[in-house]
Amino acid sequence: MERIFIDKDTATFTRKDLTLVDVVFRDGRSFEGLEPRRLFPVSDRSRYITLLDANGVEQAVIRDLSVLPEAERQIIEECLQEYYLVPKITRVMDYRERFDGITFFADTDHGPANIEIRTLTQGLKVIGEFRALIRDVNDNRYEIPDVTRLDKHSRQILARYI
Amino acid sequence: MKQKTICKTEQDDPASTQNAPLREAVSVTVNPPFRGQQYTANKQLTDEELQKLENTVPQTELLQFVVAGDLSLKNRYARSLLAVTDGHIYGFDENHHDGVKIFDFTQAGKASVKRYYGNALLVFAGQDEGKKTHFLRFSYREAPLFEAAAAYINSVADGGSREDAQTQIEIAFEKQFCVCPKCGRTLLRPGAPCMNCQTKNKVIKTLGRYVLPYKKLLAFCLLLSAVTTGVSLVPPYMTKTLVDDVLPNGSGRGLLTCVLVLLMTHVIHYGVGIIRSYYLKICGNKIVADLRNDVYKKAQQLPMRFYDTTSTGSIINRISGDTSTIQAFMLRVTQEVLVQLFMLVGIVIIMFGMNWQLTLLSLVPVPLVAIASRIFRKKIRAYYRRIWRHWAAVISVLTDTIPGIRVVKAFANERKGVEKFAARNKTWLKSNNRVARITSLYPNVVGLMMSCGSLLIWSVGGNEVIHNPEFISAGLLVSFISYTSMFYGPVNFFANFNDSYQSFLNAAERLMDIIDAEPENDFSGGWHPEKLVGKIEFKNVNFSFDRTQKTLSDVSFTIEPGDIVGIAGTTGAGKSTLVNLLMRYYDHYDGEILIDGIDIRKIDMTFYRSQIGYVQQEPMMFHDTIYQNIAYGCQGVTTEQVMQAADVANAHSFIARLPDGYDTVLGERGVGLSGGERQRLSIARAVLKDPAILFFDEATASVDSETEHLIQESIEKLIHGRTTLMIAHRLSTLRKANKIIVVDKGKILEMGTPEELMALKGKYYKLIQIQTMSDELQKTKKEERFD
Repeated sequence: MERIFIDKDTATFTRKDLTLVDVVFRDGRSFEGLEPRRLFPVSDRSRYITLLDANGVEQAVIRDLSVLPEAERQIIEECLQEYYLVPKITRVMDYRERFDGITFFADTDHGPANIEIRTLTQGLKVIGEFRALIRDVNDNRYEIPDVTRLDKHSRQILARYI
Repeated sequence: MKQKTICKTEQDDPASTQNAPLREAVSVTVNPPFRGQQYTANKQLTDEELQKLENTVPQTELLQFVVAGDLSLKNRYARSLLAVTDGHIYGFDENHHDGVKIFDFTQAGKASVKRYYGNALLVFAGQDEGKKTHFLRFSYREAPLFEAAAAYINSVADGGSREDAQTQIEIAFEKQFCVCPKCGRTLLRPGAPCMNCQTKNKVIKTLGRYVLPYKKLLAFCLLLSAVTTGVSLVPPYMTKTLVDDVLPNGSGRGLLTCVLVLLMTHVIHYGVGIIRSYYLKICGNKIVADLRNDVYKKAQQLPMRFYDTTSTGSIINRISGDTSTIQAFMLRVTQEVLVQLFMLVGIVIIMFGMNWQLTLLSLVPVPLVAIASRIFRKKIRAYYRRIWRHWAAVISVLTDTIPGIRVVKAFANERKGVEKFAARNKTWLKSNNRVARITSLYPNVVGLMMSCGSLLIWSVGGNEVIHNPEFISAGLLVSFISYTSMFYGPVNFFANFNDSYQSFLNAAERLMDIIDAEPENDFSGGWHPEKLVGKIEFKNVNFSFDRTQKTLSDVSFTIEPGDIVGIAGTTGAGKSTLVNLLMRYYDHYDGEILIDGIDIRKIDMTFYRSQIGYVQQEPMMFHDTIYQNIAYGCQGVTTEQVMQAADVANAHSFIARLPDGYDTVLGERGVGLSGGERQRLSIARAVLKDPAILFFDEATASVDSETEHLIQESIEKLIHGRTTLMIAHRLSTLRKANKIIVVDKGKILEMGTPEELMALKGKYYKLIQIQTMSDELQKTKKEERFD
């Protein structure tokens, strides 16, 4: 089956639920209750957004969010915002370390959080030079977009691990 | 109704970190009863929350349980609350109208937890699938409890027993509270020791276990050390006699005596030194060999879960590299630390005896050295950890590409591999260079400080010798200077000792990670019958690898002894997971798996696995002879038994054709044999084991149809009279099965005899049709080619 790509204005979206949209294509085809999901949630968040139906079957793929008309883009982004919670760490106040288990006491853009990771290899990944991704023991995700832009105290704490 | 309250104080709660003191330990406390009634809760409720409950819940209702969430509906960290009473469901969230939403059990509709990415939502479907309600949001941390709560609500709404539901929810709460009472960290299972709360002393204690057996030898060496140290203190003293008494008096006889005494001390010093050093080295080697054995043994017993999340490269590095670091350190400790300590104490005593004022003067740089050492220690530690991580990254390229060299070459990807390796090596080099900077700076700065110390003695002491010769003689000053330089030796040693101590501590920590990790449950002990009959039952089994996605949900089935069961389903449906659970690679599932009516987690593991023959899709061959590969895991088998097994597996004929026969040594991963030949060896392995139960995981997936026929034939010989589970993609392999289980998305879709399933015209029927179609297509293509 050919993959259907949604480009510039091939389709319109209506928000149906928290994370679901109804999609109507210009050629008349329509789908109800599709869930936009990132195909590259780590490396490319605004391109290749897949639209899955209730059975998890892909119905279409948005190639690039930025080329969509403003209103359509916003609908999809709101859905993604509800689906993906990856708080950005803005400050690391303190840490506690015993053996390989580390807890960071941090501030994020979603409020303060205690981030518990079991091992560095599993819990902390540095992507590129400055971007850090954290996955805690419960599989929650956090991100530091640019380690160098944190305050000195936070950087000092993180320097132990990155 | 007896109810338990399990809760933690809220320091662990992200929302409260601002006002609560950081780093404070979480303790298990009990929530005060609500209107005189106990209830189950996952967190200690604040006064404000209790007040809210007081105001909202009518007096006539009885509070059953409370689950505190950690996100608001708008995805911000905040406390939300799910309170369930015998009449209603209350959801407290600041985004609800008036801060609360109330449902009764019938009007809410089906409750479900939808897991998103890093957050999840409790949703009520509404009556007659009407309007959905987003009730509360929470992170993955609390999701399991909300899932249990949803199950409770659904079960009560469907008219199920409240008592049963309450028991279920309490089990869920208890499970969630596999937390360390000291630090609040999640544990692997209830009662498991907390890795987090073990202090550095634990490292010393654990490694101490390895030193103890050699304590006699070590004590002997200690004695020798005392002798060498004592003897080495003699020469400077002789210098004093020489300068003050012998040389000024011009006594030739005295000079000769002095020289002879010095010769004696040197001979004793170095002679005893040889013996001591030899025995200490032996001790160090033995200790580390023991340690390495233990770590390897432990690594063998670790559950698959550990290997799923830790790269094998890092484990190999720990066993080979880290034990070597510890060896180096052990040798250092056992050889030098004691000697240097003796020396230090001895010199200080003599120096004080000679002149206490000068001694104090020479001690001036010591605090400076100690401070410098502290600063250094803090800095270097992070660097060593980083170096190790970078080194593990280098190793992981090795472990990926060297064994997979065929794939690398096939994709002409050598250059990329080299680049990746070079890049990782460069990072390693960078951090190592940074350490080199610090490690070369520090000892030399310390050295400089110490040299300045001896200048201090020259100037002060020299002044005394010039103006006050009766107080300090020239001989005393000279011998004092010698003692001082000897004294700085051990000080310098201990200052640098940090260096190896730090890398030792890091290596030890990583080893302890393995030594202290939870092994597979009850590796020995447990129920041990003569032989298994082979009845397999799954009862409501739920399983998830990583808590995010259920790999199996509510799987129940029974297999009678001697049944030949085919498991069909698309890729990723959960077929292999069934076998993984049966093999007890993973023990953390919900529900029960019974063999002959006994929970498999209660059966002696070694015995249990010996009763199972497992033929995998890609059989693993060891770097050993064919004979040893077949006899792998079977002790005390005769040569003929092995040959017979090879016969059954249709392997004997091709082995006989090999020039080295059964003595053919296989390369790593069985290089030198075809896929089908390896598969037949692995079947022979299973035959030899004579198991009660057999698993075939896509055994014929990667061979041509002719070989498949040979393998099929051997499988048919093998499975006779044994309970057999066959996972197959190619349904033709399942023609011998008397029962088929069709798995889809972790659930059992269809189950029955092949005829029944064909009559059902469901998924199995569809799969068969698709396969027949493609088979026919292939056949026509072949025929066309022949034409």
